[in-house]
Amino acid sequence: MSVRGLALFVLRRLAALAVLLMIISFGVFSLLYLAPGSAEQVLLQGRAVDAATRNEIREAFNLNEPFLQQYRLWVSGAIRLDFGESIRTGEPVLNAILNRMGLTIFLGLYGFIVAMVAGLSLGILAAVKSRTSVDRGIVMFSIVGASAPPFVTGVFLLYLFAVLLGWFPAFGQGEGFADRFWHLTLPALALAFGGAALVVRLTRAGMIGALDQDFVTFARARGLSPRRVLRAYALRNALIPVVNAGALMLAFMLTGAALVEVTFALPGIGALLVESVNFRDLPMVQGLSMVLATVVILVNLATDVIYLFIDPRISYSETTA
Amino acid sequence: MSGDAIPTIGRGRMRWIPRTPFTLAFSFLVVGVVVLLAFAAPFVAPRDPQAQNLVVGLTTPNSEFWFGTDAVGRDVFSRTIFGARGALIGPVLIALGAFVIGNVLGLLAGYKGGLLDAAIMRWVDLMFALPGLLVAIVLVGVLGSSYALAVIVLLVLTSPFDTRIIRGATLEQRSLPYVEAARTLGVPAPRIMFRHIFPNILPITLPNAFLNFAFSLVALSALSFLGLGVGPGSAEWGRMLAESRLLLFDNPMAALAPGGMIVLTAASMNLVGDWLYERLADRGRAR
Amino acid sequence: MRVLEVHGVTIESRIGGHRRTIVREFDLSLDAGETVGIVGESGSGKSMTARAVIGLLPPGVSARGSVTYDGRELIGLPERELGGVRGSQIGLILQDPFTMLNPLLRCGRHITEVLERFEGGRVSRRARRAEATRRLAEVGIADAIDRYPFELSGGMRQRVAIAAALAGDPKILIADEPSTALDATTQKELLALLKSLQEARSMGLVLITHDLRVAFAVCDRVCVLYAGSLLEVGAGAALEAEPLHPYTLGLLLSEPPGDRRLAELASIPGAVPSPDDVAQMCPFTPRCRWAAPVCGAGRPPLALVSPGRSTACVRIHEIRESMRETRVVVEQPAPIRPARPASRLIEVEQVEKVFEGAVGRRGGAAVVALAGVSLEVGAHESVGLVGESGSGKTTLGRCLVGLETPSAGRITIDGIQAADYAALSSGDRRRLRRVVQIIFQDPYSSLNPVRSVGTTLREAITLYEPRSRRVGEEVEALLAKVGLPGSYAARKPVALSGGERQRVAIARALAVKPRLIICDEAVSALDVSVQAQILNLLKTLRADLGIGYLFITHDLPVVRQVVDRIYVLHRGAVVESGPVDAVIDAPQHPYTVKLVESMPRSSPDWLRDA
Repeated sequence: MSVRGLALFVLRRLAALAVLLMIISFGVFSLLYLAPGSAEQVLLQGRAVDAATRNEIREAFNLNEPFLQQYRLWVSGAIRLDFGESIRTGEPVLNAILNRMGLTIFLGLYGFIVAMVAGLSLGILAAVKSRTSVDRGIVMFSIVGASAPPFVTGVFLLYLFAVLLGWFPAFGQGEGFADRFWHLTLPALALAFGGAALVVRLTRAGMIGALDQDFVTFARARGLSPRRVLRAYALRNALIPVVNAGALMLAFMLTGAALVEVTFALPGIGALLVESVNFRDLPMVQGLSMVLATVVILVNLATDVIYLFIDPRISYSETTA
Repeated sequence: MSGDAIPTIGRGRMRWIPRTPFTLAFSFLVVGVVVLLAFAAPFVAPRDPQAQNLVVGLTTPNSEFWFGTDAVGRDVFSRTIFGARGALIGPVLIALGAFVIGNVLGLLAGYKGGLLDAAIMRWVDLMFALPGLLVAIVLVGVLGSSYALAVIVLLVLTSPFDTRIIRGATLEQRSLPYVEAARTLGVPAPRIMFRHIFPNILPITLPNAFLNFAFSLVALSALSFLGLGVGPGSAEWGRMLAESRLLLFDNPMAALAPGGMIVLTAASMNLVGDWLYERLADRGRAR
Repeated sequence: MRVLEVHGVTIESRIGGHRRTIVREFDLSLDAGETVGIVGESGSGKSMTARAVIGLLPPGVSARGSVTYDGRELIGLPERELGGVRGSQIGLILQDPFTMLNPLLRCGRHITEVLERFEGGRVSRRARRAEATRRLAEVGIADAIDRYPFELSGGMRQRVAIAAALAGDPKILIADEPSTALDATTQKELLALLKSLQEARSMGLVLITHDLRVAFAVCDRVCVLYAGSLLEVGAGAALEAEPLHPYTLGLLLSEPPGDRRLAELASIPGAVPSPDDVAQMCPFTPRCRWAAPVCGAGRPPLALVSPGRSTACVRIHEIRESMRETRVVVEQPAPIRPARPASRLIEVEQVEKVFEGAVGRRGGAAVVALAGVSLEVGAHESVGLVGESGSGKTTLGRCLVGLETPSAGRITIDGIQAADYAALSSGDRRRLRRVVQIIFQDPYSSLNPVRSVGTTLREAITLYEPRSRRVGEEVEALLAKVGLPGSYAARKPVALSGGERQRVAIARALAVKPRLIICDEAVSALDVSVQAQILNLLKTLRADLGIGYLFITHDLPVVRQVVDRIYVLHRGAVVESGPVDAVIDAPQHPYTVKLVESMPRSSPDWLRDA
């Protein structure tokens, strides 16, 4: 695949994603009007205020402008990452998000790595030991994982490792890398369980499917070593659906992070979103939604590009325009 | 052409889901018990799930309160039993609704193609690009918390997945000679879609409804865990878990019981769905 | 010198506690540099036999008996040691070129990875690459080393696969239907390549095929396998001159000859039984016209009749004369009735069809399937449309019944402008449905698997006669017309054999009483013996009902048996047309010449002039 082809592909996808982002931003802005009560009531949180303050609010949020103009003004702010100030704390939305982002990224990456490593190795193991008790055990693990929401896993982990065994701290986020790593281990495990279950399922099915293919029989017929057959033939082909599910994994991790942060009382952006939603802190909700949507969309793009490199058939049909 | 019949063996292996008769029987038992409890909760539960017993206060499991009590002295055992209702009603509605919406839109999009397909698929793509549960959190939170709203929002967010699956299955069937023969005979389109294609994709769609049930159960309890959906104090498993999660040191059962029920019910539903898939796929094997 | 000796190999599968025999007591010997063919229809167990030799049976299938290579027993050999035999001593290539290569590896890598495995000392990457280039050149491919399999055609991929299978320089190559998935012209080239590689490397070759003519052309010796049992072994030429087993004779006679039309093909009644159902008798007994009580009295062993020839038929000495006579009678050519001047039923004028790339994917290039095709079909006429894959023949057939809409051109059917079905009034559309119907290639997906045969036929009948009170009788009559008992109405497609399903598909088309049936490769997925049954049925229906056919196929011998005129289609255009005898016996266009030459012939010189 040529560099130019790749650049064209990315540009084309970026354009499509920009459109998507516009649609989402419209939805996010409309939240203000979808919430029960008039926009200013929502912003005032039902507090009784005098006419001057009321006017101030109307001015600050451009409520006197026509709807589309309001949207335009909001978008022009959003592009500069200016989402206004939190109703709850008065803090600029962007600051609040940036302050709490680090924790979530740490937790998310930690969980993602654990999920991928555990999921891939268990999935491969199950496929290689297909139809044995090892396989059966791993599949049961993945069914339970798919059925256990992170907050339930979190509570069970807390009970087992913090209350009964006392190996890990029950709450807090820790200071410095090692301490944070230590504190975030239980939350990351809670987050990783469901993701690992998904990866196990995909990897196992992909491996077993690939091992059944003619090309594997043909590779064995040529005397290639079992190791080579497993790696270059089965695993490479099995990885395609796993990479394809990357976006799904991210969605899962983001949602999971919100639940885990609430469970372990960690001040990340997931918890911030839940707090703000429960408080109807609309500027904060809008800002968070836009940031999260952008992250999701960019990761989608990244998955597509990785996909291009793994599967030559895709790069061929997508980039030879 | 005349190749020997190897593939059936191969496919059998791919579909094989490791599960002992015991786990399957256990799954059916769990599902049966949950359904029973949902209907018969008032007769089965020893106490009123909302009655606060401030004299007893917070206790660990004992002979009177089998699962102990929560912070305001409510009986955790009775509350867990009543929780079966919330765990059943919403997910059933979502699974049913997504089944109907998914089948109608998926069959239409897949069979008719053209503009309708393009429109439906753009919507599905949009929904796919979003992390569903996060959208649900924002929407349910902002629009005002209620169980019904949570159910509706989850239905809207779930059905695109079904639509996509069913459209794919429909496309596959549509190009098969038996469908083309029906078209050439002049069989009307609705009849082809619902009498010819629909029964043939049932092995995919029906088990999928069970997986949807499991997913919705988890998603609904997640919403109520976050304080969205049902009101505070409701006997709903996610809500109970949220309210009791700080009691882990005092009465762990108050958090573990509802949490365990969520996992148990969802896993059982998943296993039943897998089993159904295997059964139905075997029936239509000769395709 | 004997290199491979297979003795008493029995292959069984076990799925869910259910035990099934696939092959029973198979014997085979192969000398160095010898070519042996294993011929059998589907269900004969020939592919499993190939895999058993090299220890690559699928999970759940096991073999016992003895396979000795170079004096070494292979059955029961640990996987690790088998790895040293596969590829470097015995090679294997499979049928489907589209699934045999790893889609994620470049073609050259398939070869270098084998070189790496077997080379003794250190070889530089560059030297290995040069070797791979040389190996690809050996199979006639110039610059595919850096290309991915999906960029190549089926024939090219099969060549890459052969180069990869031979990369370890095996002494024996087992080729499992290597040319079956390919077009006729490609098939001939590929077989010629295999034969020349075998000779140049003086390698042993085991060719597994369903086509007796191919086996005769390529192999020194031929083994005939039926329902898991070996029925006859002999030198190719001798076997063709006089088959010594009724099954071999039946197989030879049901193969439609390319050089003449027969009044009726000698089909073998019924379908191949499962090996377990015929365990204690001659497996061919249920379908054999010479069957006698002695045939059912036990499993007959393969017995030597004359040097190098053995047969499992216990009655061969009694029936030999009768078999000879049958062959003489059956192979008499039948004159083709001169085409009657008939009114025009279908007229196709300058029809074009372009498939745009997939929607929303600008990368997909447009494909021209039809580039201005004109043809006509008269009432009661039977016309052939012949071409290889990509010729557009199927697209044209689909345009005629409204499954595709032409991009340009006119189609007139029975006086109705039928190019765009969607634009027709519903009355016209209903009328058209009763003029033209279609039957498809794949019998397994032609019928709705969840509906019984009766439901399928009833639906077709009531579509146009909703008030009919005698639907039940009509279903029975339809089944009778296609040679099936009325009790079949209650059956689901699963319980039917491939040939029976195709009969039901014909009955379904007949249900609306059409005047012409488009047969889109309708017999090419069937075994030869069953194919002959269906061809005979089609002929009978034409004689009885006056129904016409548009016979779409790649198979010249088949088309010669059923049609009066043919059109030869190449890359979306008609290159030649005329009476079927004239076109096949004296082709004019170079492409038709090539096509006619590619028809398999039973003699070794068929491959010489490739």
